Amino acid sequence: MNVSRRFILKGTASAAVIGASFSSTSVRAAASVGADAESKALLLRMIRVMYPHAKFDDAPYERSCDAIRGVAGKSIGQSLMFAEGLAELKAAGFAEMDDADALAHLKSIEGTGFFQLVRGNVITSLYNDPEVWEILGYEGPSFDKGGYINRGFNDLDWLPDPRITEL
Amino acid sequence: MSTIANDEAAVVIIGSGAGGGTMAFELTKAGIPCVVLEAGPFLKPEDYENDEWAAFGQMAWLDARTTSGSWRVAKDFSGLPTWLVKAVGGTTTHWAGATPRFLDYEFKARSTYGDIAGATLLDWPISLDDMAPYYTRAEDAIGSTHTNGRAPLPANNNYKVFANGAERVGYKRYATGPYGTNAEPYDGRPGSIQDGFNFQGDKNTSKWSTAVREIPRALDTGLCDLRAKSHAVKITHDASGKVDAVLYVDGDGNLHRQAARVVCVAGNSIETPRLLLMSDSNMFPNGLANSSDQVGRNYMRHLTGSMYAWFEKPVHMYRGETMAGIIKDEMQNDPSRGFVGGYYMETLALGPAFLAAFIEPGMWGPDFTKMMDAYCNMAGMWIVGEDMPQATNRITLSDSVKDQWGLPAPNVHFDDHPNDVAMRTYAYEKAEALYKSVGAIGTHRTPPYPSTHNLGTCRMSANAEDGVVNKWGQAHDVPNLFVSDGSVMTTGAAANPTLTIVALAIRQAEHLAGELKNGNL
Repeated sequence: MNVSRRFILKGTASAAVIGASFSSTSVRAAASVGADAESKALLLRMIRVMYPHAKFDDAPYERSCDAIRGVAGKSIGQSLMFAEGLAELKAAGFAEMDDADALAHLKSIEGTGFFQLVRGNVITSLYNDPEVWEILGYEGPSFDKGGYINRGFNDLDWLPDPRITEL
Repeated sequence: MSTIANDEAAVVIIGSGAGGGTMAFELTKAGIPCVVLEAGPFLKPEDYENDEWAAFGQMAWLDARTTSGSWRVAKDFSGLPTWLVKAVGGTTTHWAGATPRFLDYEFKARSTYGDIAGATLLDWPISLDDMAPYYTRAEDAIGSTHTNGRAPLPANNNYKVFANGAERVGYKRYATGPYGTNAEPYDGRPGSIQDGFNFQGDKNTSKWSTAVREIPRALDTGLCDLRAKSHAVKITHDASGKVDAVLYVDGDGNLHRQAARVVCVAGNSIETPRLLLMSDSNMFPNGLANSSDQVGRNYMRHLTGSMYAWFEKPVHMYRGETMAGIIKDEMQNDPSRGFVGGYYMETLALGPAFLAAFIEPGMWGPDFTKMMDAYCNMAGMWIVGEDMPQATNRITLSDSVKDQWGLPAPNVHFDDHPNDVAMRTYAYEKAEALYKSVGAIGTHRTPPYPSTHNLGTCRMSANAEDGVVNKWGQAHDVPNLFVSDGSVMTTGAAANPTLTIVALAIRQAEHLAGELKNGNL
């Protein structure tokens, strides 16, 4: 799964493409970037402003934050970009901004590699979360339950039943 | 399964999808032993994942590729120009199952549309009359609903919205098929239980694929040597210019040579021309079978686009088969609409994971989340129409990016033709009108996904200077080299291509078997 998510990222955030490999020691060190409480809160706030869903509690957003940190820790280059992005949010007073100002601020940085790293990972993690599926009304796989053939595949009742063959 | 020695000159088929899988079954059924080289693993129905990203990671072709041109895909998914499958069964594992035939005029695109600036239109060297019996055989193989007495699929929720909208805007030619998913048990496979996930392989096997029909049956003949995780990297030839072997890499990275008396290339419209271009030699300096300079050119991907619409009340579009509705009313050549050629509208449903990634790539913010919040009340359709062949839309070998074997990655260059843009805009307007007629409170024009219909690049032509293969799919330059996939399409028509690829392969296999038996090859 991670392979495919990173693959999508490559296309959407070319500046963030991992270009070099590092020793496992340095990668582990890099993985700690953004793990402090203030950084976590800032990232959570950022993605809640980017993808505001009134019905979602913090848990799926926090899982997205973990996914972003996981990818950001994969290389020194990504870690540096991630750390710099968070530092710039702090310096801009992002945590104290109201929703409108926060949205406007994110709009002003949407071309950055940092923003695209975050965006690309949220899109492939937040909406791939079973708790989010349930809130959105998506019931997911049905093969093990015998499909939807007896579970509402044709229960729409606010339009007439149409014909299914050509006249 | 039989084993064919590497030094035994065999019929070697490269790829096991709609074209290659069909060739393998038809030839072995006719008593001809075949080696099938498939780059991907042999995934079985029990392996398929009913999870969009997990399945994508499991089966998508993710080898290095690059993109160029003005198409939107190059911006949003620069490393992923196509959405194809690397597994036994090829992209039939992923296909949604629509099986319209080409129309008569679509085999005569140049004559019908005339001279369209910038387009390299050509008439096919075959007609609908030539193809009709093979279409029937392909429909019977696939089990296409609505054809030859087979039952239609029932109306799912997404179709109810689609068909009612069609009726209200005055369309007449709407139905739940033809589709290659069994409505009732057929050919040893069960009827649909409306469990969706057609793009992920269909665990229930109601959907036809060569992985559940042709390949197992080819193996049952005892004449098919299927080699999964075997990636062809070069076709070699003898001093006379006839192909004599295929070099391939196994799953452990070891290079092998399989001697060949005939080679059938069916790697889809990116890998097929790439392999021919990589098979250059002193005798064929521009690539194998490329004296015309047409290998890799005229790449087509169909005019596509999607329309998602949301309503006051629930739809639950994901319940049931992924695609199970088609409108044919826009299928004619009527230049008064501002473009030549026609298009189909087909129902399409995505789960939240893929919808988020594809409904508007790159979009974020409250306007985006408003659409996602409407997921439960959303209906969707895909627009699929004929796009214009252009010489500059082209597969070439990258001079900088290599694949995992150190071989040049394919670059996919694509620019929309003005005809494509005009048709897409018109189709979006019609789709919006359809959904608004049944009460849509919002609609969104989703741009084309990474290409699933990949056509042209080794086109069929009457004259050797205009194309790569003749009317049998046989290379103009190399008598024992055949192309057996959608690469041969002279023009793309509007129909989803799988049925036509299967019909062409059945026809080609019949011809090839005759030639082999008569000692002509």
